[in-house]
Amino acid sequence: MINLQNVSYVRLGTADLDGATRFATNYLGLEISHLARNSVYLKSDQREHTLCYFAGSPADQAAAFEVSDLAELEAAASELDRLGHDVRFGSAEEAELRHVRRFIAFQDPTGNKIELVWRPAIGNRRYHGERDAGITGFSHIGLCTTDAARDETFWTKVCNARVSDRIGDAALLRIDEVHHSIALFPTDRAGIQHINHQVATGDDVMRSFYFLSERQVPMVFGPGRHPTSSARFLYFEGPDGMVFEYSSGVREIADELLYRERQLPFDAKGFCEWGAKPQIKEFRN
Amino acid sequence: MVDLEQLRYVRLIADNLGSAADFAQRVLGLEPIDRDQELATFRSDFRDYTLAFVTGDRAVQSVGLEVRYPRDLEIALEGLRGLGLSAGRGSAEDCTSRKVKDMAWCIDFSGNRIELVVRPLNSGWRYFPSRDAGVRGLADVIMRSVDIEKDLSIWTGVFGAHVSDWAGDAAYLRIDDAHHRIVLFPARRPGVLAIEYAVDDVNLLMRNWYALRDLQVSVVHGPGRRPASGQLFLTFAGPCGVLFSFVAEGASVGERHRPRQFPAGPDGLCNWGSECKIGEFIDATRGVERLIGRGANRSLMT
Repeated sequence: MINLQNVSYVRLGTADLDGATRFATNYLGLEISHLARNSVYLKSDQREHTLCYFAGSPADQAAAFEVSDLAELEAAASELDRLGHDVRFGSAEEAELRHVRRFIAFQDPTGNKIELVWRPAIGNRRYHGERDAGITGFSHIGLCTTDAARDETFWTKVCNARVSDRIGDAALLRIDEVHHSIALFPTDRAGIQHINHQVATGDDVMRSFYFLSERQVPMVFGPGRHPTSSARFLYFEGPDGMVFEYSSGVREIADELLYRERQLPFDAKGFCEWGAKPQIKEFRN
Repeated sequence: MVDLEQLRYVRLIADNLGSAADFAQRVLGLEPIDRDQELATFRSDFRDYTLAFVTGDRAVQSVGLEVRYPRDLEIALEGLRGLGLSAGRGSAEDCTSRKVKDMAWCIDFSGNRIELVVRPLNSGWRYFPSRDAGVRGLADVIMRSVDIEKDLSIWTGVFGAHVSDWAGDAAYLRIDDAHHRIVLFPARRPGVLAIEYAVDDVNLLMRNWYALRDLQVSVVHGPGRRPASGQLFLTFAGPCGVLFSFVAEGASVGERHRPRQFPAGPDGLCNWGSECKIGEFIDATRGVERLIGRGANRSLMT
């Protein structure tokens, strides 16, 4: 069993690095941690960075999870290798680019690029966004799955994720007490389906709704409230069609023994209890 | 000085009683109580009714507030006449149609009719809504005022209300532990601007936002949050040229609360940045620009 500690960062390729940077800072409200040649590192909380845009193909996307020690990382590598995944240790140079000590890269059964990292860097100063979006941190990712049952098995049996709820066949998975850190959405491709940042209050969700609407950022779902996690949410589209989410008030599951996952319908009501209707392909039948 | 105990009702003049009643039931989700050729009343809480649509010759637009004893009516009338206002006791017929034991009325400096009532009817049966809008009850009323200063002299001088906060020249008035029950909003003409019903919480407020879209009701302001009261609000167009709002949350204030000055217009009325289509609210900003332009009141610039 691979013990994922938390979701560390996302790496996104883009053909328009300047445009992506403008969106991430002026609209999304992240802070530039530092600029490097052909890449920009963005900060959303105490961590050194939680999002990296690099010049490249928008299809080139990776999500990283932290493991607690080197032995775990090595055990994970041999476990994944044994299961037939193509695992490789990142080079020292690659690790430096990611601000981690060591990492391994592999693909989940759908083909999503996943990295497991050891000792990701923490920043020496707190996050101060480009605008007052109220972001408290990078929190979870939606991943595409081409076979929901198969991938749910991978994340729960090989990794330590537990199912918190299901919307249709889409499993919301937790790796700590937060309701979900990974959500698997059935679709016909591999890739990151959405990227979530938590904001401090429901008011922040609504302020961003008006702020981004005024600036013609495409709203694709919400404002609304998830019946699963009880979080208030807003989904909107960023560069290269990537869906970003703000949410606030996500439920925490403290008692593993007493908690039982629930089944929700795969329709607008399963995604929102206020009556918002998703315009997101993976959230629609 | 009399003590206002409660906000009780708003009576509106309906051109079309049927469509007004339909709005109250289908959109606001209120419970129909009395209905005849000239009257339709609706319950929203423990009060027998809080909204009345009236048609015919005797129809008036008025806001009703409760005082405890008939002698309070005399004290109030004395104060009101002292201000030079036209005021008087209600007839037995007036009392019957309003389901109150006794009443007095006055016309404020703007031309709004305010009614003071004694022993208005409460319902023995609990409120059963027509639609699950989550309405908890009548929260407050926003009234237009063509002369805020003079109208305030009635509310603070005769009725014993306190100014909780200012948004531009609009005054939030409290008569109990709620931040406000009446808002006087500067305008060029009199009349009830908005009638506001409290709903359970933010979830009901937002659910209603989507429900109003499906009902094709025109939202004119919000959803948003008011900086002064902390209330969430959603304001939409209703019948009789009156706006209605759903509100939720919001702070209650104590005796020691100090009135604060918030900006005029939409900036001082919403801190989420919602779009505002209410003429009076937008005009309030222009009023300030005019003042600042003349250098009459620079303090309003902050």
